[in-house]
Formats: sequence, C-alpha cells, structure tokens
Amino acid sequence: MKHIIWAASLLLSLPAVASENIAAVGSTTVLPVVSQAATAFHAMHPDVKIMVSGGGSGVGIAAMIQGTAQLGMASRETSPEEQAKLDGKVDNIVIASDAVAVVVSKAVYMSGIHALSLAQIADIYRGKIRNWKELGGADARILVIDKEASRGTRHVFAKAVLGSSHARAAGASIISGSNNEEQSIVSRSNNAIGMLSNAWLNDAVRGVDVIVHGQAIAPTIEHVRDGTYPIARGLHVLLAKNASKNTRDFVQFLLSQDGQAIVKKVGYLPVH
Amino acid sequence: MRHFLNPLKIFVALGCLSAVLSVLVLLGFLIQSSLPFWQAFGIQVLWGDAWYPYESLFGFLPAIVGTVWALLIAMIIALPCGLAAAIVSSEMMSETWRDLVRVGMEILAGIPSVVYGLIGLWVLLPFLQHSLDLLTGHNLLAAGMILSLMILPTIMVMSQDALQAISQEQRESAMSLGLDWQQRLFRVLLPQAWPGIRSGILLALGRALGETMAVMLVVGSMDRLPEPFYNILEPAQTLTSRIGREMGEASFGSLHFSALMGCGLILAVMAMGLSLLAQRRSLIR
Repeated sequence: MKHIIWAASLLLSLPAVASENIAAVGSTTVLPVVSQAATAFHAMHPDVKIMVSGGGSGVGIAAMIQGTAQLGMASRETSPEEQAKLDGKVDNIVIASDAVAVVVSKAVYMSGIHALSLAQIADIYRGKIRNWKELGGADARILVIDKEASRGTRHVFAKAVLGSSHARAAGASIISGSNNEEQSIVSRSNNAIGMLSNAWLNDAVRGVDVIVHGQAIAPTIEHVRDGTYPIARGLHVLLAKNASKNTRDFVQFLLSQDGQAIVKKVGYLPVH
Repeated sequence: MRHFLNPLKIFVALGCLSAVLSVLVLLGFLIQSSLPFWQAFGIQVLWGDAWYPYESLFGFLPAIVGTVWALLIAMIIALPCGLAAAIVSSEMMSETWRDLVRVGMEILAGIPSVVYGLIGLWVLLPFLQHSLDLLTGHNLLAAGMILSLMILPTIMVMSQDALQAISQEQRESAMSLGLDWQQRLFRVLLPQAWPGIRSGILLALGRALGETMAVMLVVGSMDRLPEPFYNILEPAQTLTSRIGREMGEASFGSLHFSALMGCGLILAVMAMGLSLLAQRRSLIR
C-alpha cells in the first residue's frame, strides 16, 4: 500500500517539476498579442506552457485580485476600487496601445456614413438618435451594440463618449461580450454601430472617422501615435509581484523587440 | 448487526446520503452566498426593473420575465412535437424504425449546448432577422426555439418509454371494446403514460431553466422588460445568461456576486416550484 502511495505521489509531482503552467486571463483585445507571444515563448522554453483565455478586462483584474491567474490582461486602466485591492500585489505594465474604433456595418458605411462626431455617437447611445436617416444615411433603425459592463473597451468608449465608464446607454439594443462576438454581430447586420479595437476592422466591419474640432480623424495606429484620435488607450498586462521567474521572463519577452513585433503584427502600436 | 454491514447496503446508503446532501449543500450555499444581498436590498428587487450593478441597482424583473418567456416558448414548441414523435414512433412504427428514431433523439440529447448556441447564431438568427424583418435576430423567440430543440429529446424519449411500458393487453382490450384510435390514445394510452410523460416534462423544464451557454449566445442579454410584455422579438435577458455574462468580473464576496447568487437561488426556487406543482397535481389525480 505504501508503495502505491509513493508511486502515485511521484507521478503527480513529476509534471510539476518538469514544466510550469502559466495562466493568462482577461481582455480579448490583449489576447491575440499574448497568445501569439505565448506560442513563440513556448518554442524557446518548451518547459513553460502559457494558457491564455479571455473573459474581458474586468475578469482579468478580478482574477489578479483573487490570485487565480499569474498574468492578467486589461485593455483599460484599473478603477480606483480595483486599484485599492491590487495595491502592492501587482505590477501594471503597458505593452501596446490601440484605438477603440467606432464601427458600423458595411451597408451603413456604404450609405454614406463615414464620420461621426462624439456628440452624435453619444446621442445614438443615449437613444436620442434612433434612425440612420437622421445622420444622412438610409431610412433604417440603428442596431446599437453595447458591451458587457466588465469589458475594457466599454469602459474606454463610454468614458470618452458618454462621460463616465459606467454611464448608462439607454439607446442600446443589444449587449455583446468578446471582440469576436461584437465583430460577428456587426458583420451580420446591415444597421449596426458598435465599438471595437482597430485590429478587428475588416471589410464587413468598418471603422468610421471621429470628428474632433471639425476634423475627421480615422481610427488608425498613426493617429494613436500622434495623439489625435480621441478614443485611444494603453493595453496592459498585470503581473503579480510574487510571480515566478518564467512569468517575469514572459512579460520581458512581450516588451522585447520580438514581442513588440508581434504587437505590430496584430495591429497595435508598440510601446517603443 | 451483520444485516447492516452488508457492503452493498452500505454503498447504497452512502450513495443515497450523498444525493440528499448535495441538494442540501447546494441550496445552503446559494442561500448563504446570496444572503448579504437580500439583507441589503430586500425582496422588492424581485419586481425592480433596472439592473445597473455599478449604481447598486439590482432589479430582477426583466430577467425573470425573460426566463419565463423562454421556458414557455420552448415548452409550447417542444411538448406537442416531442409527444407526437413519441406517439408515432411507439404506436405506429415498426421496431426497427422506432429504435432508429430513438438513437437519433439520443444523439440530439448528447450534443453539447454550445453547439446548439452556435447553430442558433449562424442559422436561426439570420433566418429570424430576415424572415420577420427584425433589427436583430437576438431575442426571446430565438432563445425559446433553441431551448425547444434541446429539450425535445428528453420529452420524446421519456414519453416513448412511458408509452412502451403500457402492456399490450391494455391496447388489445381497448381495441376489443371498439374504441377508435383517438379514444384509445386519449382514454387509455396517454392517461396511463402520464406519470412518465410528466417526469419527462419536468426534466426538460429543468434543463431549459438552467441552460446558460446556448441562451446567452442568442438572447441578446439586454436587461430591459419586453414592451409590451408579450413582445418576444426584441433582445432580452434571462437569469442564466446574466449569471454567465457577469459572474467572471464580480469579485468574490461583493454585493454584485451576492446578487448573481440570488439569481441562482431564484432559478433553484423556480425549479422546485415547478416540481412541487407537478407532484401536487399527480396526488390530486
């Protein structure tokens, strides 16, 4: 009997000695960078496995507060309440920047909606503008896509457009979650407006220019770099202060030239 | 003493004990973890209609109404279809065909719920959107339809079992009394099979009530009361979809977390209520 217990405990402890598993959780905007970097990192360090999963910035931050992940991903600043719980436990590192694009369905873009002012976008989300006709488009109801309250994109967008990150959006017609979900709702509709990181734009999901002081500014990396695009933000990873050496190395890798090349490839602005 | 130490009996007793305990532990956990919320906000949240956790507004009514609607739609579709399929396959088909249909239903029952959700997302939503000319296909009707597909096998297989369990003599004596097909069905077969059908309905209701993933993908998750209350063609919210969407960010021990546990408790109470209701009716009969 004793032998069996010994053998079992040996078997159980073997994988732990041979390799390390790192869990990275949070923002689906940061996710593509971290997951591609994880693949590259694993190729260099075969003994380190990095499991990357989404959920949203709020989920990533909550996971760091509860200590259920080694690495958190967030596409927004932490709120003061969150910061109070994280203080002293976590290093907050910016690995890239991006633009939160105001996206519309291809049909809306084709009907002539190429630029919207922040006030117009706010009116849409507050329910004061409900038809594309009022903005010069086709006569069709607007499908206003809001996001789950925990999503980083929602925080940044609502803060820039509606004035506060938890502002109500009375005009919303539907709630989406991850970037992929938002992207698929916009591309399936002919009348949608939503919010998405600039890296998720494609033929069916078009970003409109945002009008600032009479000037239309496209949601591009160049306009994030020169600071003119009004809904830009940093993309963060949260690293526990007591994180393992491998986890630290991985974050260093994200900031290294190779890591930043991945950032660029995904479509975000590198930090240097 | 020997009598009680029979290993099989001990095993059975332990199994029974753990089944009973798991129900109690689960209910206890739901009550205990949602208690801070009920203490802070009271029972009136049940008919509040605004849900803004960041403003400490927790109104349950939209999600409760959404849950009931989704359940109702699912039952309205699945019950007649499942029952009809059971009657046809049990009373009219040869044994080979009956088994084939049954295998098909069992496959249907084994498909993971996220697959149903994706089918809904790719097939049902565009169809609803275009055929009914809606702003979006995400709505309670879509949720109910997906749920009906998911609970159909339960209702069908359980009903079929119940019908099959009726002895052949019953059918023959009914026939020899000169009852026609309709009379045999409504006077003899269905009443006799009812307890089994009822358990099928209950199991199906339970599954529909607790289903999260498939519903979350198609319901739209909009915390707003349907207007008017029978408008099932606008995005809405169910209790499960809300828990699925918000549980990840609600930090353990916060009021928000408690409130979501409250959603879970309401679901559990609804399931118990349904089950008790069915039991009562059978006693009266």
